[in-house]
Amino acid sequence: MTAATLPLAREGFHAPTIEEFEWPSIVDLHVGGVDLSINRVVLQMFLVGLVVWALFFFAFRKPKLVPSGLQNVMEVLVDFIRNQIALEVIGRDGLRFVPYLATLFTFVFLGNLGGIIPGIFFPLTGRMALPAILAVCSLLLFVSVGISQQGFLTYFKNALFPPGMPKAIYILLTPIELISTFIVRPVTLAIRLLANMIAGHLILSVFFVATGYLLTSGNVSIVFGLGSLVFSVALIAFELFVAGLQAYVFTILSAVYIAGAMEPEH
Amino acid sequence: MSEPEPPREPSGRGADVVWSIIGTLVAGVLAWGGIGWLLDRWLGTRYLVAVGIIVGMAGAFYLIIKRHGGG
Repeated sequence: MTAATLPLAREGFHAPTIEEFEWPSIVDLHVGGVDLSINRVVLQMFLVGLVVWALFFFAFRKPKLVPSGLQNVMEVLVDFIRNQIALEVIGRDGLRFVPYLATLFTFVFLGNLGGIIPGIFFPLTGRMALPAILAVCSLLLFVSVGISQQGFLTYFKNALFPPGMPKAIYILLTPIELISTFIVRPVTLAIRLLANMIAGHLILSVFFVATGYLLTSGNVSIVFGLGSLVFSVALIAFELFVAGLQAYVFTILSAVYIAGAMEPEH
Repeated sequence: MSEPEPPREPSGRGADVVWSIIGTLVAGVLAWGGIGWLLDRWLGTRYLVAVGIIVGMAGAFYLIIKRHGGG
């Protein structure tokens, strides 16, 4: 951080821009015209995937009746997803979605957490590809749950023609339901996470760069630099809260959509 | 040992309702605004996109009231 900010101190203050999210490719890889180049974000994605796998694998490899250490921590997490999300939102039928929801929560949370881990300082979910593919996963899941629970025709009939309305009004409502269920749901799921992580990362970057600039510009502004430093630490704590909250919101809304597909509206 | 918890609304339902309402409003504007825009292009008019947005809003409000309005 200091190495990056010292030259800035001489040139004047440059606020971080959206370019903070652009990373150069490390390994150029093109397969059949598709750009599969590997950059820092891709490596971070592999790392987070590996960490999620390792957490669950080592926690439950040899489960003990009286859990301790990692198993204890992961049991608290799985218990939380099971009781507060699956049972609460979907009900007893929701238990079979606990693996998906727990993995989703852990992956999103660790992806968000990269934004405040020293040495990484980049939220994986601040790139649209990650939230988008996760939202598509949730979309495919709730649509297939709907089809398998209610049957293909019944599911789409219930989704597009909400029961209990006068027949003529469907001309007005069906286009709205189509857009709302199959487009607005996944899009808002992805954008909500993305926008929160972009905003958080930009605020942190501004404060880090400003702290470095103010502390090194060598006059009375050092006082403000110290204030900015204190605020940066507070913002890191806030970002930790946002990382957890956004992972929770993503997971619980996925559960709500699954619950909605299990049974027709009443 | 501990007192029984008072019955409460399941957590997450509140957020669910709020996002469902926002989603329906956005979908209403997008769906009927989009239909209006397509009709404008097809017929060479300029006002149908505005009519579409208003129709979409009205439809969304109807849906929200039917679904969440004191049912």
